[in-house]
Amino acid sequence: MKFKIKTNLVSGILMALFSGYMLYVMPKQVKVPAYDSGAPSPRIIPGICLIVILICSIVLIIESLVFKKEKIVEFDWNNEKPAILLIAILCIYVFLIIKIGFILASAITFTVVLLYCGERKPFIYIFTIALAVGIYFLFTLVFHVSLPAGILPF
Amino acid sequence: MDFTMITQAAAQTFTLYNIALIFGGLLIGMVIGCIPGLSVTLGIILMLPLTYNMEDAASAIILMLAVYVGGMYGGSISAITLNTPGTNSAIATTFDGYPLARKGKVKKALDVSLFASTFGGLFSALLLLLCAQLITKAVSKFTSVEYFALGIMGISLIAGVSGESLPKALISGMLGLLMACIGKDSVTGVSRYAFGSNVLRYGINILPAMIALIALMQVVDKLREFRLSGGKIKDANKIDSDGMTGKEAKSILPACFKSSAIASILGAMPGVGGGVAQFMCYNEVRRSSKHPEEFGKGCMEGIAAAESSNNAVVGSAMIPLLTLGIPGDGVTALLLGAFMLHGITPGPTMFTKQGVMAYTIIIGCLVANIFLYPIGKALTRAVAKVIQVRYTYLACAIIMFCFAGAFAASGHVKELILTAAILILSYVLTILDIDNTPLLLGMILEPIMEKYFVSASMAYDRDYSIFVRRPISLVILIITVVMVISMMRVNRRVNALNAEQEAAMAAEHEQMGSAEDAVRAVETAKADADASFEDSIADAVFEKEHVTAKPDVKVNKDQDKP
Repeated sequence: MKFKIKTNLVSGILMALFSGYMLYVMPKQVKVPAYDSGAPSPRIIPGICLIVILICSIVLIIESLVFKKEKIVEFDWNNEKPAILLIAILCIYVFLIIKIGFILASAITFTVVLLYCGERKPFIYIFTIALAVGIYFLFTLVFHVSLPAGILPF
Repeated sequence: MDFTMITQAAAQTFTLYNIALIFGGLLIGMVIGCIPGLSVTLGIILMLPLTYNMEDAASAIILMLAVYVGGMYGGSISAITLNTPGTNSAIATTFDGYPLARKGKVKKALDVSLFASTFGGLFSALLLLLCAQLITKAVSKFTSVEYFALGIMGISLIAGVSGESLPKALISGMLGLLMACIGKDSVTGVSRYAFGSNVLRYGINILPAMIALIALMQVVDKLREFRLSGGKIKDANKIDSDGMTGKEAKSILPACFKSSAIASILGAMPGVGGGVAQFMCYNEVRRSSKHPEEFGKGCMEGIAAAESSNNAVVGSAMIPLLTLGIPGDGVTALLLGAFMLHGITPGPTMFTKQGVMAYTIIIGCLVANIFLYPIGKALTRAVAKVIQVRYTYLACAIIMFCFAGAFAASGHVKELILTAAILILSYVLTILDIDNTPLLLGMILEPIMEKYFVSASMAYDRDYSIFVRRPISLVILIITVVMVISMMRVNRRVNALNAEQEAAMAAEHEQMGSAEDAVRAVETAKADADASFEDSIADAVFEKEHVTAKPDVKVNKDQDKP
């Protein structure tokens, strides 16, 4: 499956919608402090950013529709599928770290990643699991950062 | 120069601990730099969690600079042995490095690269040492108004030179600023765009953002490539033992000097990185060479020009970072992030308030460049073998380390959630052809910019026109606009020229390869013909012997009969 993305037009529309929405919710999301400390309003910097994003988005839309200046990116599903799947696996990895801990989550996730990448030799699986244990103890004992242990008793 | 501070800094740099860090950093940089698809930025990001608990922030920065220096040289190892640059800054190294390697002179090419890298690195590190104090004195009268203007300059220049579209780069930069605004405002205590979420309430830490935007995206890209190619690894040229001679080293000195000087000037300009500098230096050295026709065919001057330029950028890119607080490229943007994570704000005040630390970092950079030569000499052969290691071994290790490092930012699982979310955002931006370097820079610069903006506003009673009324600030803003416009034009031209040059070189390499293949084919055919001739003679002899032997056999057989 292949399709072409008019990146100027699409990013222009998406960013315009995003900045418009963020500007719309600004009064609720960024409240002005009850008393005046002499400091500038907390809305200034985000406000400027959103307005610049909106202006740039409009410029992109005009470039695409009026001046026909476009950068077309071909989205090839066969090419993108591995990247999307890997990102999805990494999101699940985060979920698993929170639920069952770093070591078990790493063992499960990277077994899946290695299988997906076509690795068949057992050594690489053993190496990866050993690495997960090593990194866990490196952070816990050397860097004093307690990575989530999850259901394991340490 | 302040010699008292330099002496103190030298004493602090030459501790066993710092020297060990420099050795380790150089080695890690060389390994990461030589793997195509993994950049120096990834190496620096991987070092960030390691440096979290370091007592001396200067040691942390020295470690990262050593990775930067090692990575710049490491990029040339795969450029020479594989014809695939390990980093973007080593593209021009393939022009002459690979042809020389194809001639069987891999060690010579690597030696030239190491010598030129060391020369370029030392040249710019010395320049950094000499210039830092001068620039700092020149900008010592800057107030928060000017610093805010400098922040705008930094983000605009990076936006101006990254990607092909200015609106897209600006969107990216502004998204970065906006993302850094999320959470509690440090001045008023007001919550900004947290949407009632616990994950967003305390803001987005730079570390998970850096990990997701740069490191994880690179690993995902490389794993995708691995999966699509079935994990095939190109055959690397074997390293011989015939290195560079003293005479040859002398002959490439002018090229090294010229290239280092040009690259140091270019590298000190915010927005120009090693990627741009290498081509300009290569072209200039070729133009002024006595044998320009040899370039692209395995000329040592060509390798020297490319390699001394990319290492010269390391020191010179630190000039605007240390003296003005403006990062010159993506790598220095990351270093700025590292400075901030360690509670240091680079700029003129750093030289007055934390002068010893500033000089310790500069001397550390100098020492890393000095040590690059012996370490490169001793370990290049071993490091080159890493290219042949299956990527899946490294990828899993890097991903685990990245998530563990992201978690270390605050020790809370929200960092992991943010890392995953920013990874998805980064992928969407890539699909939309929006470069994420300005986004990262925006995130890094926002706290500094907002700090100066608030100080300036409060000092001038919220008179925002002060940013254009103060002459120095106005001049900085005008220079920003002029530089963005001119650099966009220059960059377009340079990119077009580079693309042409790369295509021409690729065609030449292919031609060279096919010519060599043809020669090899002829040799093989000749060898085959010889072999078949020999075979036919052997067959004839065999047949003759066989025929003559037949009666013997028969006789023997007969003899064997009872």
